[in-house]
Amino acid sequence: METGNKISFVTPLEAEYPEKLRHIPDAPGGLYIRGKLPVETGLTVAVIGARDCSDYGRYVAEELGSFLGRNGVTVISGMARGIDGISQWAAMEAGGFSIGVLGCGVDICYPAGNRALFDRLLEEGAVLSEYPPGTPPRAMNFPARNRIVSGLADAVVVVEARSKSGTLITVDMALEQGREVFVVPGRVTDRLSDGCNRLIKQGAGILLSMEELLEEIEELKVRTEERGIGSMPEKAGSSQAHMEKRRRQSTEKGQSTEKGQSTEKGQSTEKGQNAKKSQSSEWSREDASGVAPELREIYQALDFYPCSVEQIVARLPGRISQRQAALQLIQLCMENKAIQVSPGYFKSP
Amino acid sequence: MYSTVITGALQGASAYPVSVEVDISHGLPTLSLVGSLSQEVREAKERVGAALRNAGFHLPPSRITVNLSPADRRKEGTAFDLPIAVGLLAAMNLVPGEKLTNTLFLGELGLDGEIRGVSGVLPIVREAALRGIQQCILPAPNAAEGALISGITVRGAASLQELLSFLQSGEEGEGILPATQLDASRLFQEKAAGRAPDFSEVNGQETAKRGAEIAAAGFHNLLMVGPPGAGKSMIAKRIPGILPPLTLEESLEVTSVYSVAGLLKEGEAMVTRRPFISPHHSITQAALVGGCAIPRPGMISLAHRGVLFLDELPEFQRAALDSLRQPLEEHEIRIARISGTIAYPSDFMLVCAMNPCPCGFYPDAGKCSCTEPQVRRYMGRVSGPILDRIDLCVELQAVDIASLKNSGRGEDSETIRRRVIAAREIQRERFLGTGYRFNADIEAADMERYCALGKAEQEYAEQLYRSLMLSARAYHRILKVARTIADLEGAAQIGVEQLLEASFYRPAQEYWR
Repeated sequence: METGNKISFVTPLEAEYPEKLRHIPDAPGGLYIRGKLPVETGLTVAVIGARDCSDYGRYVAEELGSFLGRNGVTVISGMARGIDGISQWAAMEAGGFSIGVLGCGVDICYPAGNRALFDRLLEEGAVLSEYPPGTPPRAMNFPARNRIVSGLADAVVVVEARSKSGTLITVDMALEQGREVFVVPGRVTDRLSDGCNRLIKQGAGILLSMEELLEEIEELKVRTEERGIGSMPEKAGSSQAHMEKRRRQSTEKGQSTEKGQSTEKGQSTEKGQNAKKSQSSEWSREDASGVAPELREIYQALDFYPCSVEQIVARLPGRISQRQAALQLIQLCMENKAIQVSPGYFKSP
Repeated sequence: MYSTVITGALQGASAYPVSVEVDISHGLPTLSLVGSLSQEVREAKERVGAALRNAGFHLPPSRITVNLSPADRRKEGTAFDLPIAVGLLAAMNLVPGEKLTNTLFLGELGLDGEIRGVSGVLPIVREAALRGIQQCILPAPNAAEGALISGITVRGAASLQELLSFLQSGEEGEGILPATQLDASRLFQEKAAGRAPDFSEVNGQETAKRGAEIAAAGFHNLLMVGPPGAGKSMIAKRIPGILPPLTLEESLEVTSVYSVAGLLKEGEAMVTRRPFISPHHSITQAALVGGCAIPRPGMISLAHRGVLFLDELPEFQRAALDSLRQPLEEHEIRIARISGTIAYPSDFMLVCAMNPCPCGFYPDAGKCSCTEPQVRRYMGRVSGPILDRIDLCVELQAVDIASLKNSGRGEDSETIRRRVIAAREIQRERFLGTGYRFNADIEAADMERYCALGKAEQEYAEQLYRSLMLSARAYHRILKVARTIADLEGAAQIGVEQLLEASFYRPAQEYWR
């Protein structure tokens, strides 16, 4: 509590000033900090996304936050409703460390609904802001705040974003600062994933496996350090160009694997299988083994998205009545294998 | 020169007898009306005077006093015109006094002597019949309504002149003003068999239809949630059609309320269909539950024995919704005013509909454009105490064009109604001699008695209780609904399936958090 209550102020002249921030364009002239900042050498990842996320986004943010927390990666985010707060909370739940970057004074909890997270960050993590204490959360503060979020991170992961999302501002900042951007892919029909899918099209990294993400970031970090901490990429400042480059690289890589198929065939398939295996086990829910055999089909028809009983029935191989389906779903709810989101909608836990 | 005439007045939906006493004595010419009168009764002085004059009678230049007894109860309405006029004529010795005994008069007068219709005839005639009065003279437009009551002769008079010639005649009076004949039960059957909206017109929405059926069978209150255009109102409008038809006794009750409210259409003797009342959400508390300075039945009383449908539930004023709590518990509304407390019957089935969020598409994240706080705020507008009184909650999905085309016609209302009637019959036998009528009425103390569970079912119910984290109230609601489902299936005992289905329809707490 001691550390949490005290507000310290650091300027770039002091050693406590985060090293990463020194090198970003328009670095903040000073930071108000509550809590304790982590050791600088550790990996940091910014997890950002929509405030009004879907259940899919919620699930991914939870899993990702928890994974990063477990692996000692600091999760940076804006403490907002939705993806931000969920991933930060999950990281601390998993015993990890998290930093909340605010768009208001560090003595103000915004949004007020995240009080629990705010208090926990003061206790176990850190909260910082470039605005003096007492500054109210003004809309104009937040885009500027985002440059600190990406600036503090080694890489930025976008979990869910609409096509016109504030999250995309953070992505722009990240690219300007030379940070890697990874995106969680979504369905093309899903408006909450429009922004993400657009970024993928533009050449952003695709997050399929958390293990792989970690490996890539570590590799990246080593490479950056070899070049000298925080040095700018050659084409910094032009996000489009950076993404374009990445896209070209990935196509080249694909082609080269194709070419080298005959020689590396055995190895590459093996690797592919491994990746596939790890992906599916990473993201899949609990397996259906604990579910009674007669409920197994309907359990597997459930999704992260809330689905209406009608939709669930349509997914089942055999035709059963909606009434029968409703009874089975309630049974699943009793065993905590399903959640009744609203009277007619169910999703998997 | 004194005369007295019998009439009646309304107190809420019931009536009490009033006698109009007229005295003509020597003194300065004046006509004074006394007996705790409201403005419109005091104005009767002018109407009666003019009507008598135009009918050819001149009031004597004497001191005339008219008293409406009991003098300490407030009299309202225009139905006292006719008894006052008849009393004056009798005091002037133009009508034989013996013609007035055992006859009740009721009606408003026009200045030309015409007798006009009034509201609240049915309860007054019923009360008169109970008190052994043999004859009623009513305005012609109200004659059919009064004739619903058996054991009393009802005559409809169109004008003062006509009435006077009847009163002055001897045996041949029957020819001048014949008694109105009406066979209530025949009329009732004729009118009850009319076309109403049918459930077969609703495509898809199986769960919602099933929910409506269960609600109708146990007279449970129902809440429908769904996006705009999913068919919430459509289903609500069809619920009266699957409720059992009104019995004659119920029909008279409903007719009484409509009569008091002055809502019986001309030529319509009685209400034979279950009412379906759907007030707009801008309705005030007084209009919903009744009241005002001059108390009138509110919408909830007009929905007596029928359905009160509140569309766009969160848009209703909170005060209006909260005022529903007492009538939902006690099936009548008591309105206390400085002039006294009046009661109107209000035994209705509450059916509500709402969008799940301001835009209407929550929890479909792809379509819903509301933020989570917006959704919470919207849901929060429905007060907890009202939700506590809702036993079943169904969610409707937007219907896509394919299912509109493909799905065949569903069951018709008549088939569903037969099942509902069978379930009602079981309940009637079960609750014989108790105060209960439907499963929805069962109170917590009697839960053991009427919703008894077998050993295995009891264990299952306890598991439900724990795993779904139910409150005691929610648990009882599930038991009641399960009882109704069992009744629909003709099962004597509540089984696991019924418990599960009832749980599916429970208004989930998580949802309303």
